[in-house]
Amino acid sequence: MKHKLKLILVLLLFIWGTAAAQSDTAPGDAAIAAPSIPPPAPVTNLQATDTDNDHGHAITLTWEKSTDDGAGANAVVAYDVWRWYPLEMDVVDSLRQDLAATRDAVRAFRIDLPRAERALEELQEDAAKLNTTRFRVAVPDVPGFTLTVDYALSKLADTIAYMRDNRPILMSRIKPEQQELAQALERLTQAHAAFPQNGEWRTIGKALAGATSFTNTGSKDQTSSDFFPDYSDLYYRVEAVTIDPAVRSEAVQVGPVQSKGQWFHTGKIPVVLFVVMFLVFTVTFVQLAKKGTDLYVRPLSGIEAVDDAIGRATEMGRPILYLLGIGVATEVNTIASFSILGRVAKRVAEFQTPIIVPCYDPIVMAVAQEVVKSSFLDAGRSDDYRQESVFFVTNYQFAYVAAVNGIMLRERPATNIYMGKFMAESLLLAETGTLAGSIQIAGTDEIAQIPFFIVSCDYTLIGEELYAASAYLGREPVLLGSLKAQDWAKAVIMVCALMGMVATALGWPAFAHFFQVTG
Amino acid sequence: MSRASIVVLVLVCVAFAASWVVRAGANEGDAAVRDAFLVTLAAFLTLAIFSFMYRDNPYYKFAEHLFVGVSAAYWMCMGFWSTIVGNLVPRISESLSDFFQVPYSGGGLDFGLFYFSYRYFYLIPIILGILLLMRLVPKAGWISRWPLAFIVGTFAGLNLVRYLQSDFIIQISASFVPLFVDWHGFGHFFSGLSLAANGQFVAMLSNLVVFLGVICGLIYFFFSKEHVGWFGGASRLGIWILMITFGASFGYTVMGRISLLVGRLTFLFGDWLGIIG
Amino acid sequence: MGNIGVILMLVLIGGGLLWLFIRALRGREVDRRVVFAFILVSVALPLLLTITFEMKPTPVVEALYDRIDSLPSGSRILISFDFDPPMAPEVQPMADVITRHVLAKGHKAIFMTLWATGQSQFNVTLQDVIRADFPEKVEGVDWVNLGYKAGNEGVLNVIRTDFKKMFPTDVNTIPWDSIPILRGIRSCSDFELVISVGGGKPGVKEWVLFVGDPTGVPTAGGVAAVVAPMLYPYYPRQMCGILGGIKAAAEYEDHFRKNYPVFSDMKTPALVMMGPQTVAHVVILAFIVIGNVLFFVARRKEVRR
Repeated sequence: MKHKLKLILVLLLFIWGTAAAQSDTAPGDAAIAAPSIPPPAPVTNLQATDTDNDHGHAITLTWEKSTDDGAGANAVVAYDVWRWYPLEMDVVDSLRQDLAATRDAVRAFRIDLPRAERALEELQEDAAKLNTTRFRVAVPDVPGFTLTVDYALSKLADTIAYMRDNRPILMSRIKPEQQELAQALERLTQAHAAFPQNGEWRTIGKALAGATSFTNTGSKDQTSSDFFPDYSDLYYRVEAVTIDPAVRSEAVQVGPVQSKGQWFHTGKIPVVLFVVMFLVFTVTFVQLAKKGTDLYVRPLSGIEAVDDAIGRATEMGRPILYLLGIGVATEVNTIASFSILGRVAKRVAEFQTPIIVPCYDPIVMAVAQEVVKSSFLDAGRSDDYRQESVFFVTNYQFAYVAAVNGIMLRERPATNIYMGKFMAESLLLAETGTLAGSIQIAGTDEIAQIPFFIVSCDYTLIGEELYAASAYLGREPVLLGSLKAQDWAKAVIMVCALMGMVATALGWPAFAHFFQVTG
Repeated sequence: MSRASIVVLVLVCVAFAASWVVRAGANEGDAAVRDAFLVTLAAFLTLAIFSFMYRDNPYYKFAEHLFVGVSAAYWMCMGFWSTIVGNLVPRISESLSDFFQVPYSGGGLDFGLFYFSYRYFYLIPIILGILLLMRLVPKAGWISRWPLAFIVGTFAGLNLVRYLQSDFIIQISASFVPLFVDWHGFGHFFSGLSLAANGQFVAMLSNLVVFLGVICGLIYFFFSKEHVGWFGGASRLGIWILMITFGASFGYTVMGRISLLVGRLTFLFGDWLGIIG
Repeated sequence: MGNIGVILMLVLIGGGLLWLFIRALRGREVDRRVVFAFILVSVALPLLLTITFEMKPTPVVEALYDRIDSLPSGSRILISFDFDPPMAPEVQPMADVITRHVLAKGHKAIFMTLWATGQSQFNVTLQDVIRADFPEKVEGVDWVNLGYKAGNEGVLNVIRTDFKKMFPTDVNTIPWDSIPILRGIRSCSDFELVISVGGGKPGVKEWVLFVGDPTGVPTAGGVAAVVAPMLYPYYPRQMCGILGGIKAAAEYEDHFRKNYPVFSDMKTPALVMMGPQTVAHVVILAFIVIGNVLFFVARRKEVRR
C-alpha cells in the first residue's frame, strides 16, 4: 500500500512538472515555490506609442523605472518585454516557410537538373569509350564511397526523371501558396483585434536595468520571418526581473496600439527651414543678378593671375596644362572647375595656345570636352578645337599621377592650373610642375592638400575661393546669385553662433535644442 | 642605345634573375618560384619608380606605363564584376544569375491579375548606361547629356539633406560653446588656475579659440564686403587661424607620406632582402 | 649593439645636417637629391636598427578603445574595410588591432567593404589575426565576412534601413538567414558600433553622413593621416573615436597589448613604423629650421647690400 501511494505521488508530481514545463502562460501565472527574495516593484506609467518619424513597423514603449531598479536585495537587473501574438501569426509563418521551401526547391532543380544531365552524358561517354561498365565511380563529397557504373547511370536517370516530373508540379504550387499567404496576412488585423482570444504572450526582448524605453521593430517584408504588421492592434507587457529570473514583478500591460509610417519627419524641421532659407536667398539674388544689379565680389589674387599666366604661355609658345582633379562630375569642386575651365579655354582659344586636359574620370572627360568645345565656339575658333586635347588617362590615383608627371616633363607646359579635388597626388604634381619650370595656379577645397599647394604653387585659391572664382570670372547671374546667397547664409551662421554662445552662457538650452536633428 | 645603357640593362636583368633564384631558394612550398618572381618583380618596380628621384629614365617610364595599363584593365574588370555582375545581373535575369553564380534577388508587384517583376525597373539604368556610351559616337554624343543630367541631379538630391544635416546644422550647434566654463567668480578662477588638459582655464581657452576660429574663418570667406577696417582685421585673424590649421594638416600629411615610404622600405628590407623580420 | 647603432645613426644624421647647414650658409646650392637621401637614411636606419618608442594614447584614440572595451561581450560591431594597398601601410595595422580587440573582448564582428580592393585587405587580417590568434572563433557564429558591394553612398543608403537587401548572402554565398550571427540584424541601427577603416571616398565621412547621423548608431573610424584633420570636427558629437594615421595605430597597439597581456608578444607593425617616423620628422623639423634660418640670413644680407 505504501509503495502504491509513493507511486501515485511520484506520478502526480511528474504530471504536474510536465504540465508546468509545457505551459505557455507567463511564468507569473504558474504556481511555483515561494521565492527567497520578494518580487520587485513593477514599472509605472507604461506607455506604448507608434515610433515617430519612421516608415512604420515599430512601436516604442516607455515607462518609469521600478523603485527597486539597481538597489536592494531584490534589485532589478532587466526588464522583460512581452507582446501578445495571435495564433494566426504562426499560420502566416508556416505558410511563409512553405512558400520559401517551394521556391528554394524550384531554384535547386533549375540548377541541379542541367548538372545531372551533364553528368549523365559524361558518364555514358566514358563508359562508351572504355567499352565496359565494369568500373566504379566515386561519389562526390562522400570520400571512399564508390558505385558501379550501371548503378550510377540508373540512379542519375531516375533523379533526372524525378526532377523533370516534379519541377512543374512545384512551380504550379507557388501561386496557390502565395494566395494562401496573402489571405492569411489579410486575416492578421482581425486576429490582433480578437485579443485576448486565440493568442499567447511571447517575450520579444530585454531592456537592461536603468532603461526606460524599448523599441519593438520588425520588417515590412511580408515574406520575412520578423514581419511586423502595421494598422493592427498590438498589446505589450513589461515585467521587472531580478537576478533570479523566476522572481519578477507583476506584469504591467498596455494596449491597443497601432504602428504606421509618417509622411513628414519632424526631426528634420531645422533642415527644411535652412533649405527654405537657402532657396529664398538664392532665388532672390539670382533674380537680382539677372536684372543687372551690380553684385559686389571682392577681388581674388589667384584669379587675376590666370590671364597673365595664359599670356605667358602664349609668349613662350608652350601649352597650358589644366587638371580637373580626381573628383567625379557630381562633386561641387569639379563643377566649379568646369566653369573656370570654360573661361581658361575661351582665353586659350583667343590666344591660340594649346591646351592639354588629362582627365581622371570618364564622365568628367565627357563634360570637359563639351565645355572646351563650347568655349572654342564662343571664341569663334571652333576649327581649332581638338578633341584629343581633352582625354581620359586612368581612374586609378597614382597611375594618373605617373601619367600626368610624364606629360609635364615631356610637354613642358608654361602654366599648370590645378582646379578641383586633389588628394595625395597634389604635391607630386606640384613638385613635378616646379621641376618643369611651369607657373602654377591651384584651387581646391580639400583641406589636407591646401598646405601643399600653398607652398609649391604661385597662387592658391583656398576652399570656397574656388567656387567664388567661377562666379567672379564668369559673372553669370546664376553663379553670382549663388555666391551672394552663400554669403548671406554665412552671415546667418555667424549670428546663430553668437546667439548660441550667449544662450549657452546664460543657460538657455532651447536655442541649442532647436538645432538637434534626428533621423 | 648607348653602351652605358646596355650595360645597365644587362646588370638589371642579371640582378633580377639572381634575386629570383635566391628568393625561390629561400621560399618553401609549391608556389616558391611563383612567389619569388612576384616579390622580385614588385621590388624592381618599386626601385624603378624610386629611380625618378635621381632623374627620369626608361625604367621609371616602363614602370609608369605598366602601372597605368594594369590599373586601367584591373578597374575595368572590377567594374564589370562588381557593378554589372554584382548589382545588375542578380536583379534582371535568373538564368544570367545562374551562369555567373550569383544569387538571384527577384520579386515584384503582384496585382492579382498580373505580376510585374522588379526586373523591368532595371531596364531604365541599362538604357541610361547605353545612352551614356553614345559619347563614343560623334553624331550621337549629345544623347549622353541626358543620363549625365540624371546622375548629377540624383546625387545632388541624395546628398543635399545628408550634408546639410551633418556638415552644417550639427556643426553650427557644435560651435555653441560657453566662453566662461564653471564660472564661480574671479576668486575661484585664479585660485584654481592650472594648465591641465581638463582644467577650467584650458577649457575656456579652447572654447574661445573654437568660437573665434569659426567667426573669423567665416569672415575671411565672406566675398560680399571688402576686407577693410575691423572686418579686415577679423579676416586677417581668420587667415592666421586657417594657416595654423593648414600647418597641422600639413604635419599629418607628412606623417602619412613617411608611413608609405616606411611601408615600402619594410617590403624591400623584409619581404625582398629578408634583412628584417 | 642596439645603442651603438642608435649613436651611429645620430652621428650620421646630425653630422649630415650640420654639413648641409654649413654648405647652404656658404651659398652653395643643395641638390634636392641630397634631401631625398637624408629622408631615405632617416627612415631606413631606424627600420634596420628596430628603434621603437613608447606610446601614450591620446584622448581621441582612447575614446575608441574605451568604447569597444565597455560594450557588453557579444555586442555586434560592423567593421568596414574601405581602403586599398597604397593606404595599407598606415591603415592595415589599425584594422588588425581593432579586429583583435573586438574578438578578444568576445564581440561579434561583421566585416564588409565598400572598396573593391577592401576584400584582399580583409584577407590579410583574416590570415594574420583571425585565423592566427583566434582559431577557435567560428565563421558565421563569431564573425562573418559579407564581402564587397559596389555603389558607394548608394550602398550606405540601403543598409541604413535594410541590410539584407544589399547583402543577401555573405562572401561565400551562404544566405543571410542561414548565418547565426546575423539573426536579428535588420539595419545598421541594430549594431552597437560601426567602425570604418580607410581614408578615401567612400570612407569614414560617408559612414557618418549616411549611417551614423541618421540612425544615431555610434560611429568610429581609423583613417590615413591625410584624412584625419577633416574628421576632427565630427568628434565627439558625431564620432566616438578617431584613429588618425600610423601614430594613432601605434598608440592603440601599445595600449591594447598593455591591457591584454595575453597579446603582449603580438606583432606591432605600427609601433615598429613609429621609430623611422619619429626620426624622419626630426630631420624634417631640422630642414624647416635650417631653411628658415637661411631665409632670414639671406634677407639680412640683401638689406645690408
